[in-house]
Amino acid sequence: MTTPAILVTHLSKTFDGLTAVEDASFQVNPGEIFGLLGPNGAGKTTTLRILMDILKPDAGAALVLGQPPGAARRRVGYLPEERGLYRDLRVLECLVYLGQLKGLTRADAQRRAAGWLERFDLAARAKSKVQELSHGLQQKVQIIASLLHDPDLLILDEPFQGLDPVNVDAVRALIRELRAQGKTIILSAHEMSQVERLCERLALLHGGRIILYGALADLKRQFAPNALEISPPLPLEGWPEVDRVEMRDDGRQRIYLADSRAPRDLLKLILERGHAVDHFELADVSLDEIFVAAVKGLPHG
Amino acid sequence: MVNVWTIAAHEYRVNVRRLGFVFSTLLYPALGTVSLALIAFFASPAGRSVEAQLASEARPLGVVDQSGLFAPLPAGAAGEFAAFEAEAAARAALLADEIAAYAVIPHDYLETGAVAFYVKENSINASARNSAKVRSFLQRQLLEGKVDPATLKRFYEPAQLSVTTLDAGGKPQTAFDASAVSIGLFTPYLVAFLLSTSIFPAAGYLLNSLSEEKETRVVEMLLSSVTAAELLAGKVIGLGLLGLTQMSVWIVSSLLFSVGVGALIADSDVLFNPWIFGLEVVYFLFGYLLYGILIAVTGMLGADPRERLQIAGVFSLIASTPYILFLFISDATHPILTRVVSYFPLTAPVMMMLRLPLTNVPALDVGVSLGVLAASIPLAFWAGARLFRASLLMYGKRLSLRQMWRALREA
Repeated sequence: MTTPAILVTHLSKTFDGLTAVEDASFQVNPGEIFGLLGPNGAGKTTTLRILMDILKPDAGAALVLGQPPGAARRRVGYLPEERGLYRDLRVLECLVYLGQLKGLTRADAQRRAAGWLERFDLAARAKSKVQELSHGLQQKVQIIASLLHDPDLLILDEPFQGLDPVNVDAVRALIRELRAQGKTIILSAHEMSQVERLCERLALLHGGRIILYGALADLKRQFAPNALEISPPLPLEGWPEVDRVEMRDDGRQRIYLADSRAPRDLLKLILERGHAVDHFELADVSLDEIFVAAVKGLPHG
Repeated sequence: MVNVWTIAAHEYRVNVRRLGFVFSTLLYPALGTVSLALIAFFASPAGRSVEAQLASEARPLGVVDQSGLFAPLPAGAAGEFAAFEAEAAARAALLADEIAAYAVIPHDYLETGAVAFYVKENSINASARNSAKVRSFLQRQLLEGKVDPATLKRFYEPAQLSVTTLDAGGKPQTAFDASAVSIGLFTPYLVAFLLSTSIFPAAGYLLNSLSEEKETRVVEMLLSSVTAAELLAGKVIGLGLLGLTQMSVWIVSSLLFSVGVGALIADSDVLFNPWIFGLEVVYFLFGYLLYGILIAVTGMLGADPRERLQIAGVFSLIASTPYILFLFISDATHPILTRVVSYFPLTAPVMMMLRLPLTNVPALDVGVSLGVLAASIPLAFWAGARLFRASLLMYGKRLSLRQMWRALREA
């Protein structure tokens, strides 16, 4: 049996009586992209800090790459939520130092840093002081710092925060590429839509507790509404097959079907009644909607 | 351990280039060079002439001799002293700035030795300078003509003292002219003073470095690669070496300065005992390690840079108490208190560094103080690393006592 990349069992952590993480258990499999999602203050960063041995848990245990937290530091890359670099150091100098702390020789760290700077279009800024870089560029440097030592496991806490859309896409592409290389990646984010297209499995945290956990596809199936989306909008109110109708921001009409009615039955009726339909698909459910539904305890669909 | 050396090398390399460090390191030798140049100038005939002109008091000193022992004033005293029949006249002359000060020698001077001395307000310097002049005048006048000139000369210069130190077997070690004692002893004391005071800037570098990493949020990135203990140890070593570099520059320049001054004004050798110097360096290292860890760790418990400096200041104050105590206590006057201060870990390094060059410190004191320090440093590091780790991610907040206790108990 393969050793899980991360194994967390009944983890708890409080700060001065305030519960940050409560009885959290989850597993991250090798080679997958795992999402640790939830709103601000849900306990994501505390969980990641425990995994990185920056904080000690009050109860429970965690294994990182089969070892206690901290034992496999050099095989783990970490992008903390609290971003920071040495402001008065030059970019390359800063990366080389952080690479050396991950076990690289100075020459190797220099060579790898130069390569990554080239890839991120930052080669020309290698000798600039960090403080001369924009916030977004500093963030790119920090992402490089977390990758420099070619880690087996990459933990990215809010990796898209502060990035413009172009760079968000670039980082997404990078994450997919790393996944294709067999790396395990944990993504933490409060804006779930940003990581929805990347994660294969996830844990949703709320108030320190894991409220949903599993494969994204399973969760979507579990929370998928009995609904479909069509365009252009049609006057469907009052049809016995239709429970309710909503207009979406993208101009499509979401139609919630009455119990036991199938989407193909409705499509058949629409066409029979002579309406033209350009777009017809089963309604998807976003992670935000799943989260809201889970928190509110709303019935599925 | 590799990480510790990587951090130490990084800290040294980055901080040794900082303008503030370069400036503060070179400032002392620069001031020494300027002082040496001034001393050299004033030691020359031209300088002495300038000094004499600057120091001379043009106005005479008034004397109201009610005892009749000193009247009339000798011919040689004219211009330097002015006699007054009544005190009122002397006072009027003083207020009119015709004289620098005046002394009233009462009728019963021989019995009491009492002399009243008057200067205008805010003339403390004039008082000190002129009272010495009056004392010299009285001595000369009391004995003039009553003893032979050779005895009179010995009265003024009773001894040309030479001091020889003997080793344990009674073999002479160093010999020096007592007139040069001040400069000879001054140098090791200066070295001790510099060594002890340079502990604090070195500890300050440590606190600044940690504070900066916390403020710039880089610390979490570092903690993903190294433990808090490795980070602290690396910084302590790297910035300790930085302090040693600064101290070496200061000490070498001090020695050159002292040799220069000795050659210029006292024609003396610097009293340099390599064993004492070696012990001073050991106390510097122990002192830096203890204060550095305590100042940095307790400083980091503060919520912001200002509060960190305030907390660190408490330790600096405790560690500095020997400078004040040393003015009032010594091995001869307060042997027990001297030992207590020498054995207490927070005061031991500075106290011992001050005692070593000036007194014959018993080996027991050296052994006990070094032993106490050697035991305190690992303890401080053990507790410090835990508190340091707990405080690193507290942004804008300070650790509560409960959190500190928890941090100390965490494995």
